[in-house]
This record gives sequence, C-alpha cells and structure tokens, in this order.
Amino acid sequence: MPRAKDGARPTLKINHERCTECRMCYLACRELNLDAVYVALEPLHRLEIDPHKCTYPVCTVCLAYCPAEGSIVEAESGRWLVPPPPDVHRWWLKSGP
Amino acid sequence: MAELPGKQLAQELTQKSREESRRTPMEALIAAAREGKFREEEGFRLIGRLWTSERLFYYIYGGWGQGLEIGDFPPSVKYLFARQIMDESTQEMVYLDTLLRKGWVKTQQEAFRHPYGKFVIDSALAYYAFSLRNLATYPHPVRIAALNLGAKVVELGWMEGLTEALPDGDLRAVFTSQFVENRGHINMGRRIVEECVGKPFEAELCRWACGIARRDYGMFLQELSDVVLGRPPVIEARTAPLRIND
Repeated sequence: MPRAKDGARPTLKINHERCTECRMCYLACRELNLDAVYVALEPLHRLEIDPHKCTYPVCTVCLAYCPAEGSIVEAESGRWLVPPPPDVHRWWLKSGP
Repeated sequence: MAELPGKQLAQELTQKSREESRRTPMEALIAAAREGKFREEEGFRLIGRLWTSERLFYYIYGGWGQGLEIGDFPPSVKYLFARQIMDESTQEMVYLDTLLRKGWVKTQQEAFRHPYGKFVIDSALAYYAFSLRNLATYPHPVRIAALNLGAKVVELGWMEGLTEALPDGDLRAVFTSQFVENRGHINMGRRIVEECVGKPFEAELCRWACGIARRDYGMFLQELSDVVLGRPPVIEARTAPLRIND
C-alpha cells in the first residue's frame, strides 16, 4: 500500500494561522501509536505532522478531534480538512478497508 | 513609580540559586559529555528520567491549582501559572517525542513501562515531587518562588552547560528549544515575588520554601546523574514506618 511519503496520497499539515495548540491531534495520534504529530524543536514548540508516519487518508483521527476550523489542511492543495468534508471518509468506500 | 515590595527578595533568591546552579551533581554529566563518554545509552537514560520528572508536574500543578481561589491574586498571576502548566506539558511531549524518534522505545506504553521512564515511589524524584506538591497549601507566590526562583534557576544552569557539551545535535536541540520557556518561568517567578510578596513573614516563607526546593531538586539531580552515568546510587531513598510517639 503506498504511503504518503511516496507522493501517491495527499498529506496533512498544520495550519499555524488557525491552530489553537490545544493538542487534541497530538493526543489522539499518540493513543493510536502512529506518533505522526510531534512538537517541533524550536522555541515556539509548534505542532507538526510527519508525513512519513501519517497514514492519512486511512486514518483521519486528528481531523475528527480537532476543534479549530481550518487548522489541519491538505499540504498539496491547502484545502481545509477541519471539520472533515464528507469525501475524506469516502476513501474507505472507494478502496475498502 | 513606587518600588515593588518584593524586588530585593527576588534578587536574593535568584542570586542564591544561580550560585548553586553550576555546582550540581550534573557537572559530572557535563564532564562526561566533554570527554566523549556520553553515548546513546546515556542519552536514553537522561531523556527517560527527565520525561518521568516532567510527567510529575501534572500531579504537582494539579495540587497547586486547587489552592487558588477566585479573586485571591490578580488575573495575571493565574494567567502566568496557566502558561507555565502548558509549557511544562510541552516539555513532557518533547521528551517523549525524543524517546520515540530515537527509537529508544517503540510506543508510549513501552516508555511508561521501561525502567528509565517508570515512576517509582522509592526514589529521590518522588521525594522532590511530593515535596513540591506539599506546597499546595502555601500561598501561590511562596510556591512559585520555591520552584521558579529555586529549582528552575538551577535547572537552567546545568541545562545550558550540558547543551554546550553534548555531542548529539538532536539532544542539543531538545534542550535549546526549552531555554525560552525556562527563562520565561524564572521571569514569571521574579515578577510574582516582586509584586505579591511584601510582608516579612511571607518573605521568610519564600526563603524557606526556596531552600527546600533547591535541596530536594539537588537530591533528584544526584539520583539522575548516578542513573545516567551508571554509578551506584549515592542517595538511597528509604521508607520507614512513622512512629506517632517520635
């Protein structure tokens, strides 16, 4: 199955203009042991998403838990994914589990 | 503008802690790093133990928060406390991220179970955490003086020294990224003591609490240094039954 890093799938990134740093995405991702959301090692300690670990669109847990509209976006298109648009979940219907 | 009541006290406490900050047991660790004796295993032990200590701040601050009432201090004091809780949580996340990124543990669950990440009651770390938590019933400026002008000043001192000596760029970045927050906490402590500690008995309480925090943090640093360098423990934490008649 191709992963995000292969460029075959869209990847996620945090939109720092909208993110409130509530850390729900971090907690949800960590609970699933994906560990794709991490704290950047810079003084602001902002959250980032590692595309090599993120399995989007297979997993959309961060999008489901994020309370701040527009704070997680598709890196390639810049499309807002919070709240998750219906087609995000259609990936399952097209590809099957 | 009137002189802030606690200005001299804040300077006194900071100065005393600063003097101690480069005489801690962590100097052995800094020397080991300079001599090239700080390898992956030592890094794993250090980050694992620091992660454990950061986790305990959820417990400490939980107790402190219960001691705050509506209107007892200006909103800015409470905002700064909230900010500090957030920063401490961030640093806990940074340490866990490092354990995972380095491949030292595979999952968060494994980190909790690993001896380097496990919290045990019979330890200097537990002593330090319980000692801070016990300040929950003291006025907020007293406990903030103890932590931010005591242990935090000492922490910043050894952390800056170690960061300069560490050969591993990743670990250097882990510590460097915390400097702004740590300096911020010291400044928050200074501001709160300057503005809110005016009475002589409160100043004396601050001196006492600051001394306790430095002493207990020093015990934790001794334990940390021993663990990281694989030395037999100097401080042996013992539990003894309490005799009511003593």
